[in-house]
Amino acid sequence: MTSFLPAPTTIAALVKIGLLVGGLMTAAAYLVLVERWMAAWVQDRKGPNRVGIPLTKIRLFGLGQPLADGLKIILKEDFTPRHVDKVLYAAAPLVLLAASLAIFAAIPFGSVLPPLGIPGLPDPVPFLVAPGLDVGVLWVFALSSIAVYGVLLGGWASNNKYGFLGGLRSSAQLVAYEIPLGLGLLGVVLAAGSLKLDAIMNAQAETGVWYAFAQPLGFIVFLVAAFAEAARLPFDLPEAEQELVGGYHTEYSGIKLLLFLVSEFLHMVTAAFLIVIMFLGGWHLWGVTGSSQEVTWVGALLRFAILSGKILGVILFFMLVRWSWPRFRFDQLMNLAWKVMLPLGLANLVTVATVEEFRPQLAAAFGPSAAGWIALLVPWGVFFVGWIAAGLLTPSGTDNTPILTHGPLDVEHELVEV
Amino acid sequence: MSPGEGLSMTGSILAVAVGCAAASLWLLLPRGEGGVRERMARRFGTLLGCVSLALFIATGHRLGGVGEEAVFLVVALVAVISGAATIVTRSPVYSAIWFALALAGVAGVLLVLGAQFLGVATIVVYAGAILVMFLFVLMLAQPSGMAPYDRVSNEPLLSAVAGAVLLGLLTLFIGRLSAGPADCCAVPSKATALGSEGAQDSAVADAPSADPLAANHVARLGGELFGRHLLAVEAAGVLLLVALIGSIAIVSRTPPEERVELARRADA
Repeated sequence: MTSFLPAPTTIAALVKIGLLVGGLMTAAAYLVLVERWMAAWVQDRKGPNRVGIPLTKIRLFGLGQPLADGLKIILKEDFTPRHVDKVLYAAAPLVLLAASLAIFAAIPFGSVLPPLGIPGLPDPVPFLVAPGLDVGVLWVFALSSIAVYGVLLGGWASNNKYGFLGGLRSSAQLVAYEIPLGLGLLGVVLAAGSLKLDAIMNAQAETGVWYAFAQPLGFIVFLVAAFAEAARLPFDLPEAEQELVGGYHTEYSGIKLLLFLVSEFLHMVTAAFLIVIMFLGGWHLWGVTGSSQEVTWVGALLRFAILSGKILGVILFFMLVRWSWPRFRFDQLMNLAWKVMLPLGLANLVTVATVEEFRPQLAAAFGPSAAGWIALLVPWGVFFVGWIAAGLLTPSGTDNTPILTHGPLDVEHELVEV
Repeated sequence: MSPGEGLSMTGSILAVAVGCAAASLWLLLPRGEGGVRERMARRFGTLLGCVSLALFIATGHRLGGVGEEAVFLVVALVAVISGAATIVTRSPVYSAIWFALALAGVAGVLLVLGAQFLGVATIVVYAGAILVMFLFVLMLAQPSGMAPYDRVSNEPLLSAVAGAVLLGLLTLFIGRLSAGPADCCAVPSKATALGSEGAQDSAVADAPSADPLAANHVARLGGELFGRHLLAVEAAGVLLLVALIGSIAIVSRTPPEERVELARRADA
């Protein structure tokens, strides 16, 4: 009979899951503190700097704040209003959090470990929970589309008009921006020739050209779509406080609200992971980490540190944008998605496909180095042309004159006449 | 026990399972009667449904080792139970949610079988896009209560019997296929692997049978789709494009005189 111990691969996966979930939850708590510091810095005030070790006077720059915040919100009354749909009201935050955590099954959080020599464990051990998944990018995409349910159901189950409007707005926004997000992803997938995120990082490390440089248009499109998918300012319409109280989580309190807030933060972390892995080279840094799959312990830790550092940088950028930009109006949001980002994403995809198709011919005609430069310069040309065209041709929708819609469902102008 | 005797035994179990499933579905389908009678019917139907599920699992087990893997069993049960729940719940929003869960179960089955792309694509396309649109429409169209026709099912008896019989026939057919010729597909190799000693041995023995789908799975699928089935893929693409253009044409149809009127009002 088989032994009672699970297989080494199972144990390895469990260890990775433990590390990842623990790390992510702690990171989410401390990122809230960082966000508040950032807000304070932007607004020229001090921010949370008092909570340190309890019962002493030691302040530690306010590093005890996340713990205090967490305890406070967990110990608050978990109040369920009488008018809600009880089952879906309780299920919505769980769906959202489960989906945002399950995404990380396919996201690598480092390169590889040096061979450990444990029998039954394939060497080298990758920093990835599900290394066998051949469709990593699609997995991320699928689970981020499941996250829509959490928001939609939370808003609907609350049985509150602000919550409902927030949920609808949010799901419309998420569905709309999934398309530019997918187009941005497709360019990278096409260039790397794989749907595995670790293979995409390896491809960038081998050539030394990060996809942000090779596909500038795709990078911009993906960046904007990632902001929208994470529902961060300037795309935070789902919970626009001035209009919707709290949006889809207006009726939530206590631990359920905490789950919603944590999943929103996890969305931002996921977006940062994806931006770094797909466009900013992942663990690769010129002259510091090589591209080989055989690493020493120092090399493995260095790669992990570089990846984490880049991700932190992107998250800081997210936060800086949040505190410096006003929110879009809903029609501006949709115009941006459908009339600017979608065409730009398509242009990027066509450019990448053309360049990748003719790369061998170019290399044969001009030599590999010149072909590399051409493959780099053509997308930049398309980037500038596309950028200018988008600026000149697309309807801005930023002025405040009323926009006349004349769809069959529209009754506004008839009401005006009466 | 001789094989013939075993098969007839299996057949009778399957027949009972089908009967239970049909009765359970018939009892569970919404009538709009309400009251004690309907509540009793629903309880009894749930009980019968559980019995029929257990019998179906037993049949699959006897037919060809279906349901030996715990993970497969879990996801398959999720798919079947939520599928049934989709048609027996009365609230359209709940139906949509159950349908999403059923799709998740189906995706799980596909992942267990090694068809990663199909599994994930099911979630992206159905659960992520189409069903969200359904939910949208349901939530916008019926903010207060539901229409009467949503509370009653059409032809409950016929549909319950047809569904149950279809399920039984499929079980029989697929079970026979996997139990049939000795060395046609992955099942026999799995059986030998399970018979061998130790988890590592089974992992080694399993590797070749799982490989054809796992290694470069997407690349192979893409090659197949855009090689042998290129014409079908292109035709589907054109069809979708036509539908897209058609929907835009329908939505933006405004009579010309109305357009003039609108323009005049905009100028004023």
